[in-house]
Amino acid sequence: MSIIIISSDVREIEEMIVGKVAEEKGYGRLDRRIINDVAARHQVEPGRLIEALETTPSLFRKLSSRQWRYYLSCIEADVLERLLADNLVCWGLAAHLYVTDISHAMKIRVLAGKSSGLAKIAEERGISLQRAETYRDDEMARRKKWSLAAFNQDETDLSRYDLVISLDQIDPVETVRTITGASEYRKFQVMTYSMKCLTDLALAAKVHAVLLKSMADVKVQARDGSVVVSTRASTRQKRKKTETIKALAGQVDGVGYVEVHVKKNFLKETA
Amino acid sequence: MPIITISRGSSSMGKAVAEKVAARLGYRLISREVLLDASSRFNVSEMKLEKAIHDAPGILERYRHSKQSYVAYIRSALMERIVDDNVVYHGLAGHLLLKGIPHVLKVRINADMERRIKIVMERDGIPAEEARLRIQEDDKQRRKWTHSLYDQDPWDSSLYDLSICIDKLSVDNAVEFICQAAETDGFQATERNRNKAADMAIACRVKAALVDDFPHVGVTCEYGNVLIYVRAKDSVAGKLTKKLNQIRETMDGIHHLETHAGVELPPDAV
Repeated sequence: MSIIIISSDVREIEEMIVGKVAEEKGYGRLDRRIINDVAARHQVEPGRLIEALETTPSLFRKLSSRQWRYYLSCIEADVLERLLADNLVCWGLAAHLYVTDISHAMKIRVLAGKSSGLAKIAEERGISLQRAETYRDDEMARRKKWSLAAFNQDETDLSRYDLVISLDQIDPVETVRTITGASEYRKFQVMTYSMKCLTDLALAAKVHAVLLKSMADVKVQARDGSVVVSTRASTRQKRKKTETIKALAGQVDGVGYVEVHVKKNFLKETA
Repeated sequence: MPIITISRGSSSMGKAVAEKVAARLGYRLISREVLLDASSRFNVSEMKLEKAIHDAPGILERYRHSKQSYVAYIRSALMERIVDDNVVYHGLAGHLLLKGIPHVLKVRINADMERRIKIVMERDGIPAEEARLRIQEDDKQRRKWTHSLYDQDPWDSSLYDLSICIDKLSVDNAVEFICQAAETDGFQATERNRNKAADMAIACRVKAALVDDFPHVGVTCEYGNVLIYVRAKDSVAGKLTKKLNQIRETMDGIHHLETHAGVELPPDAV
């Protein structure tokens, strides 16, 4: 009983490994197929959610920073809620960046490696190996930039993962065997405490998404149904913002108590 | 059977993992011996060699090229040790020094910062803040060293075949993964792989013999045929001819030796 989160530098490889691990373990798959449900639940366009997962805010694409954060928070809230079901292999939803400190969530990074990965890119795009390498490096830099902007986490940082496997010399069959074997370890089994941490994380994400719909710059923490929201506001707006946050957060299922911490917004104060 | 290099940040349990892997597979375990070999063979103090492979080059060293020489000595000594394979190397920079040999399983062990701090506190009897600073300084030096000599980041995932975080996973789990990976086909010492390692050992030996006088030299070797790449102005020096004659006479395994001057170094040159 565990959650396996897989990410890779090449999407096709990620999908292939996820499929095999899920099949081997008899787990369900949590991937971008949920986007339509998320979009319907939050009444946004599915295309915008996919766009938020792929790109950073841009004036040219008419995607503001606030919208972008809201779309990401919708996905995060939904994914975390679904992860409570357990026995899942999750990929393609950036879960490796926001599922933090959950001991039964095993995070794996599979690297395509120089030889096989580049050959795959070159074949798919009909380009030379040299151009494929440049393409891959650019893509890695773009993903790094995206992950830092979206969740303040570097996707390429080795220490973020429990296991990083390069497919240069280790074949996919061995990789799948290693991942499934590791998922059996005691440390990755669900415990009451790790489940509680995931429940808290899911509740915080749900409240975060509700608040980001109408305001920016909020941070949310949750513990046993009590929610602490940190935000910024000018002295004039402080009371109103606190009341709005309490009203909005209070409507979310599972929230018992809301505490709001408001810091002074010096920029608005001077304006 | 493969050669396994285990790289890690300081106090990240890499040594414990290496010892257990070597014991489980019945491989030789090497680390400091390489420095001792290099020290006695090239007559340089062990301390200087250790500093060369640990600390980033200072401004003066960049001009004197002493660090390049020391690294070439260490690389040559390491190649001699691993050429017969069945080895676990857990000294510094193994993944970079053995680059180009196909049957090397390159492993990185990471540990959570708090755990590393705890280990240093217990080992050195110092407070947490001092331990943190010590680890951070060590990591910084590793980063600078790898950048200055190999233009790479030690935390770059593409440098390793397997990277294991000793946080939720235990030392024994890591040992299990490494032993499993070592058995896969990609890391087996085939005849071709062994020849490549032997050629690399020759190239490293030649480089170590030349690097003092010609710090920009690059060497490749294929089936005992050695190609030496030097700058155009070095090729006219009588010293080079003299050195090459000496190499021809004293080194085993060289069938043919050729010099290329003013040509760009190939990527596989040591």
